[in-house]
Amino acid sequence: MSEIAAKTAVPRHALQLARMAAYLLLQALIVIAIILGLRLFEPRDPDNFAVSEFSLREAGTTRPVTLPEFTASRYSLTDPPLYSGRFVFRDDGADATWSVFLPRFSNGVEVAINGVAILDSRRDPTANRPDRNTPEIAVIPASLLHEGSNDISVRLFVWGPLRGFLDTVYVGPDAALRPAFETRTLLFVTLPVVFSAWQSILAVILAIMWLMRRHEPVYGVLAVAMVLGVVQAFITPPVPPADSSRLVGVLLSSAPIESALIVASAVLFLGWRWPRYGVLLFVPGLIVIAGGLIAGPPLPRILFMLLGIPTVGFCLVLMAGIAAYAALQRQDVVSLALGCAATIVLTCWAHDMLSVFEIMPNERTFVSRLSYSALLIAIGAGLTWRFARALNQVDSFAGQLVARVREAEERLKASFVREEARARAAALANERTRLMRDLHDGLGGQLISIVALSERGHEGATITDAARAALRDLRLVIDSMDDIGGDLMLALGSWRERAAMQLRPHDIALDWRVATPQGLPLHPELRPWHVIQIVRILDEAVTNAVKHAAARRITVTVETRNDGQGPYGVISVADDGRGFARGDDGEAAGGGQTARGVHNMRSRARRCGAVLDLSSDGSGTRVRLQLPQIFPDSDAAGG
Amino acid sequence: MTDQDETGEVITILLVEDDAPTCWRLQDALAKAGYEVHTAGTLGEARSALASGAPRVLLTDLRLPDGHGVELIRETRQRFPNTEIMVISALGDEESVISAITVGATGYLLKDAFPTDIATTVRDLVAGHSPISASIARFIVRRTQNSAEPPPGPVLNTAKLTPREIDILWGIAKGFSYAEIASHLGLSRQTVPGHIKNIYRKLEVHTRSEAVFEAVQQGLIKL
Repeated sequence: MSEIAAKTAVPRHALQLARMAAYLLLQALIVIAIILGLRLFEPRDPDNFAVSEFSLREAGTTRPVTLPEFTASRYSLTDPPLYSGRFVFRDDGADATWSVFLPRFSNGVEVAINGVAILDSRRDPTANRPDRNTPEIAVIPASLLHEGSNDISVRLFVWGPLRGFLDTVYVGPDAALRPAFETRTLLFVTLPVVFSAWQSILAVILAIMWLMRRHEPVYGVLAVAMVLGVVQAFITPPVPPADSSRLVGVLLSSAPIESALIVASAVLFLGWRWPRYGVLLFVPGLIVIAGGLIAGPPLPRILFMLLGIPTVGFCLVLMAGIAAYAALQRQDVVSLALGCAATIVLTCWAHDMLSVFEIMPNERTFVSRLSYSALLIAIGAGLTWRFARALNQVDSFAGQLVARVREAEERLKASFVREEARARAAALANERTRLMRDLHDGLGGQLISIVALSERGHEGATITDAARAALRDLRLVIDSMDDIGGDLMLALGSWRERAAMQLRPHDIALDWRVATPQGLPLHPELRPWHVIQIVRILDEAVTNAVKHAAARRITVTVETRNDGQGPYGVISVADDGRGFARGDDGEAAGGGQTARGVHNMRSRARRCGAVLDLSSDGSGTRVRLQLPQIFPDSDAAGG
Repeated sequence: MTDQDETGEVITILLVEDDAPTCWRLQDALAKAGYEVHTAGTLGEARSALASGAPRVLLTDLRLPDGHGVELIRETRQRFPNTEIMVISALGDEESVISAITVGATGYLLKDAFPTDIATTVRDLVAGHSPISASIARFIVRRTQNSAEPPPGPVLNTAKLTPREIDILWGIAKGFSYAEIASHLGLSRQTVPGHIKNIYRKLEVHTRSEAVFEAVQQGLIKL
């Protein structure tokens, strides 16, 4: 067992190590690519027209310097360092305009040719951003130039927080200098604006996302970070000694907050819980802001240098670590893209740090802000990827839902059909049971009676009567099974025919009186077994009149009554015979039969909710059947 | 006592019934009433009897040993339009009576009818009075009502019936006498039997193709 455990454990470890190695290798390749890229794609300046040899007058002393050159002080507005040099102008005869081109300086320059100032970068807001590497170019008016040697002087204004820096100055034909200037402008001025625009769009999208999905704070956090980034990019930086509002200073120093927010959003985006001590990440940024708000310039800038930039670096390291962990754990594209982007920004940040601490000599090109766009692109791509995946999930979920609903529908339909079939079968079985009982009660008994009579050797009338009764009963049952649509009159119509046929040989008149053409109210709930019970009651009444009462006339009355509680039917069968008492005297056997017949009639009436009244005297017998308003569904009083 | 029709001739009846006791019983009842009765036990016998001439009345059972009475009724109806045709039915059930009506029968006779009723029914028929039972009337009127699914039983085309005829059928189905129906509908008592005969005629399927279709519908012919 331990062997198996070892076997499975080792490959998993190995696999993780391999993955980590691959990931680190990829990041290393990215770092190398960036270093190479920065070297290879560094803007080329026209070295033919370089003016590097200057004499620098700084803090009262004058010394020769070779550009690029860092100033000694971090703040020199009252007595700015003055660089004086010379260049040779040769008029080629062509109308070549000459310009002076300054690829990089910090913080501000004022350029004078032969003692006449032609350029002051402090008027250009973009140029006042130490993080933008803004180049400057100025056309030298032809009148200022004279053949041969000309003077050029550059005053460098420094307002911290870094030491002043002046890169090599180029003076030459405008046509030769302009392309280099355009390249630098594109890279260090236009591109940042493009990325800031992209960032502002991202801010809007994220803000909308967050408004629509409040329960996902990741969008809100990212939106705030993006807004801070956009504000930093578009706020005009103050030019000392002009005092600007403290708020502007604070907003310009909000980068540590922005980076902390981005780390927070990365953690939330990857679905982890933001730890409580994570608040500490915001502390340096808040200190910078608080200091800036309370003390005003130049404190924010100094605090930014001391606290902000390290915080940004720390956040970048955190970000790279988080993304690396996620990429190794999840093996998904978004984590990998985030990781690569973090590596790119981190590398550029390290590059900038080297340049800030002047470890890389003769250079001050800041690329952090530019490389930040890689992170923005990764964030945008990650959001889009996530959105698309969510849409796909919704689609497949909707599809599944439709399929499920269809399945459920089918099942429901099938069970409904089953249930219906079952109900129909149950109703049929019920009907059959009743039919069997009726056949047994009537036809069965009569046929047995015929058999018995035949065996006793009876002849003629008795057997005929029994057989006719059996046939009549068969007709009754068949007739009752027919669908009469709740109109009992249709059943009575057939019964009248049968009764008339039964009475004709006995010379008994059948008087049929129906009060109205409709006759009886309609009963939609009327079932065949109700019909059988009612017709049997009427048959019994007629049979009694024929057999025992010696009646000459039978009157059947059909009417609809209404006592204010809805209509109900009443069927009466009256004869002009001798009545019961006399019948009993005359025929001993018939008396018992009559009593049983009356009992049967009452029981049948009870079963279908009807009321039977029987009155008999010397002038005849009268059976009154009062039908219910609604026939009972079940055979409640059955038996 | 000899029953004669308007022309004064003796009324001839062809009785087609395979069950011998029933046949005797009906023959006795009709002969006593003065009719001239010829009997046949099978479809073949009936056809050969018809070959020698048309009877005034044909009484036939539907289930015969060598075929179905419906075929005999149709043949007779086509060859001898003046012959009155009645179907002999054990129970007077719609299934047999209606299928006979659609091929040309104009009445039915119950096998267990009392002898006097048997003679009366035939006499009425010859006099132009077609008998109709409440259950047959009920069956026809229920076919005139629109229903979603076709009801069971033989196919019946009731489209030609007039509202008045349907009212009369309702009356019969509910057990009203001709007199009562006439008074309810504001008719003369004497016109009701004529209406009933008309109803029978309208329910008859006339064309050969219609008849074949009906026969197929009723399962009498297997294609």
